[in-house]
Amino acid sequence: MFPKPIEKQSQAAQVAYKSLLPVALAFWLAPLLAVALFSVKPDADFTSGNYWGLPSSFEGAANYGQVFFNSDMPRYLLNSFMITVPTVIGAVALSAMTGFALGIYKFRANLWIFFMFVAGNFVPFQILMVPVRDLTLELGLYNTKTGLVLFHVAFQTGFCTLFMRNFIRALPFELIEAARVEGVSEWRIFWYVVLPLMKPALAALSVLIFTFIWNDYFWAVVLTQGIESQPVTAGITSFNAQFRAAYHLMSAGSIVAALPPVAMFFLMQRHFIAGLTLGAVK
Amino acid sequence: MLSKMKTTAAAAAVASAFAVPASAELTGDLSIFLDTSNPAPRATMEAMIDRFKAEHPGLNVETTVIDREAYKTQIRNFLTANAPDVATWYAANRMRPYVEAGLFEDVSDLYAEPEIAEGLASTKGALTIDDKQWGVAYTYYQWGVYYRKDIFAELGLSEPTNWEEEKANCGKIVASGRACYTIGTKYLWTAGGWFDYLNMRTNGFDFHMDLAAGNVSWEDDRVKQTFMNWKELIDMGGFIADHQTYSWQEALPFMVNGEAASYLMGNFAVAPLREAGLTDDQLDFYQFPVINPEVALSEDAPTDTFHIPANAKNKEAAREFLRFATSPAEQTIINNGKNLGQLPVNAASSVDDDKFLQMGFEMLSNNSTGGVAQFWDRDAPAEMAKVSMEGFQEFMVKPDQMDKILAKLERARGRIYK
Repeated sequence: MFPKPIEKQSQAAQVAYKSLLPVALAFWLAPLLAVALFSVKPDADFTSGNYWGLPSSFEGAANYGQVFFNSDMPRYLLNSFMITVPTVIGAVALSAMTGFALGIYKFRANLWIFFMFVAGNFVPFQILMVPVRDLTLELGLYNTKTGLVLFHVAFQTGFCTLFMRNFIRALPFELIEAARVEGVSEWRIFWYVVLPLMKPALAALSVLIFTFIWNDYFWAVVLTQGIESQPVTAGITSFNAQFRAAYHLMSAGSIVAALPPVAMFFLMQRHFIAGLTLGAVK
Repeated sequence: MLSKMKTTAAAAAVASAFAVPASAELTGDLSIFLDTSNPAPRATMEAMIDRFKAEHPGLNVETTVIDREAYKTQIRNFLTANAPDVATWYAANRMRPYVEAGLFEDVSDLYAEPEIAEGLASTKGALTIDDKQWGVAYTYYQWGVYYRKDIFAELGLSEPTNWEEEKANCGKIVASGRACYTIGTKYLWTAGGWFDYLNMRTNGFDFHMDLAAGNVSWEDDRVKQTFMNWKELIDMGGFIADHQTYSWQEALPFMVNGEAASYLMGNFAVAPLREAGLTDDQLDFYQFPVINPEVALSEDAPTDTFHIPANAKNKEAAREFLRFATSPAEQTIINNGKNLGQLPVNAASSVDDDKFLQMGFEMLSNNSTGGVAQFWDRDAPAEMAKVSMEGFQEFMVKPDQMDKILAKLERARGRIYK
């Protein structure tokens, strides 16, 4: 089995591993810790160069209070939910159906259609920036949440279909045959046989897409402009004044903005891990 | 102090309310586009527009606030296609393309009115192209050297007034183990400020503008002299090390912690320095010293402006709005410490009690006879500003590469201005 379990390594390797791991972890988390630390510091600590030390005064309540009660953050968070939740529902629902079609039915162009879904993942999405912007502008969807949702659904469905199709392929085909012998219609097979079996995959995919879309910055900046439509990732810069970046408020805002995907991940952790391995290993 | 401000403002507001001319009642729609998208300036402008509405109940005022950065790309579009009646923008070279394309209305008639002619004299030059005025300023702020008074006192230094004193001061500061100047050139523009001052003091305002307009070679000996002056400060260790890795805010701690004695910066640096604990006894300001006594002093004072698009529909109301926004009363209110915290453009308005605003107002009103520049990245075309500021940064790190850098800028000049 790869990788070789650490207990089976030599004594020296085990010691080195155990002592280096916390160091690597500290380095890895340093930027996040700095953001967390800054979110409870006063603005003056940045100006006086107190980047890593203890806060000169504890301003956590003031900073987070500003974020929640005296800024547009609640509105941006709401926008984020209004973009993310429909996208997750749309992408997962569509890909459950495409996955079912591509995984169960044998027809001539099956593999080619599947490849087309997968091929979308190989296009670096940055090169679509200008055409997609023009398209949303022409459709009158520029600077709307709907435009962002539609684009995300379209773009995420490719990856989701790959995931779902492989998962459905791994299900015992006998179940479906048995249902067909019983004379169950195809729709009901999908709804009553396949869908319940797909629950772990649905949960895993939902978490994954939720974090993808919640953390999207690129399209948020390209396709939306103002408070009426921008999600929190793009809105966080609204703390900046004309001349100054308000690092303490941006830090507090970032922590708040990072909470929903983290919460989602921990709540769904069991499904997430189970779903990923189920989809990957035959 | 604050209550005093309030009473002055209130008194001024009352005075203006009585001073409303008995002109014909304004009617119709007035559409105003603003780029003041940050919360505090936005609130200031909206409050001002509300006061304007109260004076003209017959007028239907519609305000559109556009994100400051987005505005810069949208302006060309809306000036041609869907013009508002009033739009914010910037003075001098930044308005030149729209003036030349015939998209801004000539408002010289406003400057012919005695109140405006006297009140707005200090920014008139920045709004003049081809002897006509194309808009009005509503706020500006000074640049200059902010320094640690306590460090100067400790070393027995006084504010330098000429280049020799400046270098002598800097020598003593460096000998005490500090840098003379903090600067963060990561985003380039801060180096543009240094170039503005060194070149304006060495060769004068008109030469500086000629260079910005592409009429002078970068390999001209006069330009070289500017860089040689700069090199003197760099070679003696006048600037903090590794400045190319800091933003302007990240360069502030050096000043706060006493590792650098001064900062050439705009007045917006004062607020964070105060918040970091520097008192007005520790922090002071002086005008950039004279280098070449033969040229008149000129300053950087970036100016924000209102314009009437040529395609505006309600120009009569728009003119009234421009009169209103530049009136002494409104100027006093919108530029006070609670609002924009900058300098009023009308000489008849009162400046906030703040020490630095007072000094800036005094300096720009009386001691900037050469002219008022808008800052390098507003005076030079965008492309040239970018290339040249990259060159300034490179020069500050590798001053011995001067000839190579100037040759590169000269090639860029040939390409950009055509």
